[in-house]
Amino acid sequence: MEHQAAEAAAAILAGLKKAGIDFVATLPDEKMLELIRAVERDTELKHVPLCREEEGIGICAGAYLAGKKTAIIMQNAGFLNSCNALTTTSLQFQIPILMLIYYAGDIGDRGFTTLGSITEPVLHAMGFRTYVLRHRDEIEDTLRGAQILADDSKRPVAVLLTKSTLGVN
Amino acid sequence: MQRYDYLKAIADDAGDALAVCTGWAAREWWAVRPSDGNLKTRTLGLVSSIAAGLAIALPRRKVIAIDGDGAFLMNLCGLPTIARQNPGNFLHLLFDNEIFEASGGTATASRDCDAVTLAKGAGYKHALWVNTPEEFRDGFTSAWEKNQLTLLAVKVEPGQPADLPPLKLDELENKYRFIRHLEATEKQPILNPGFDSKL
Repeated sequence: MEHQAAEAAAAILAGLKKAGIDFVATLPDEKMLELIRAVERDTELKHVPLCREEEGIGICAGAYLAGKKTAIIMQNAGFLNSCNALTTTSLQFQIPILMLIYYAGDIGDRGFTTLGSITEPVLHAMGFRTYVLRHRDEIEDTLRGAQILADDSKRPVAVLLTKSTLGVN
Repeated sequence: MQRYDYLKAIADDAGDALAVCTGWAAREWWAVRPSDGNLKTRTLGLVSSIAAGLAIALPRRKVIAIDGDGAFLMNLCGLPTIARQNPGNFLHLLFDNEIFEASGGTATASRDCDAVTLAKGAGYKHALWVNTPEEFRDGFTSAWEKNQLTLLAVKVEPGQPADLPPLKLDELENKYRFIRHLEATEKQPILNPGFDSKL
């Protein structure tokens, strides 16, 4: 399983780069450990580890204004932490950001179902186009497509990462 | 002394620095340093994070955050993140009037805590209180020349001059002018070319 997680992390990292992403803010979830490590090790991406997700929306907004293509990697609880910044910075200024959100409380997950059950409704209420990634072979196309959508619409776009995509239990 | 008196003291030294403002300070900063390199934020607290994002992305450009105590205290978790990146081109200015001025004037917690101690605890190697516009200007030019991440904090009286011109930009015009200004001064394309994009 560890091997699968490393492979998945490499595929997501490669997908981000192919999508043109060059600036990534992160706050870890155990399920995304390999992905965060891969981002940390990478020498091409600018990596900004966060203390709380909402500040990451601000940091990425500043980086976007300076010409960076930005993504934030966080758990869905962190997305909820970010909702004001996503509204009054990202939406109000029309600043895109690719959000890779680990889907805690997804189908088959124990312990986070309260969080899982409101994740997609809140994303939709905020008007964010949202894609759930369940298959490894869809990583590259989905990340590239989501980044084009974010860039062109100048809005945040969410890609929900599931355990099957991340190669973890 | 009011915030305006301190902003006036550094306006000529700010050169082509990018400046990110929050609250009522925006109108004052635009009055003393009119530029398309000024940005007014809308999310209380995020002024330092947005400015830090600019500073990290453009390490050779000076970036100023014009922060207030309410916003500063709301984004304390942003301080260790900034300190960890340690952008030397980032000047973090804090105007502490001990109230939520733009939100009606109730007290913030800043009377009972110390912003400089908080910043140092968060990992800022340079953070100091100053007491006069002259000291403020000295602190500003010193941090600029040494290119070191610095929190420069000052206690100010609330209020601002009554005759300041109102800001006429909404956030979208502010954003586009800011980006076009950066494209012109950094000599690099920033906005995507839309339908011609190869991505």
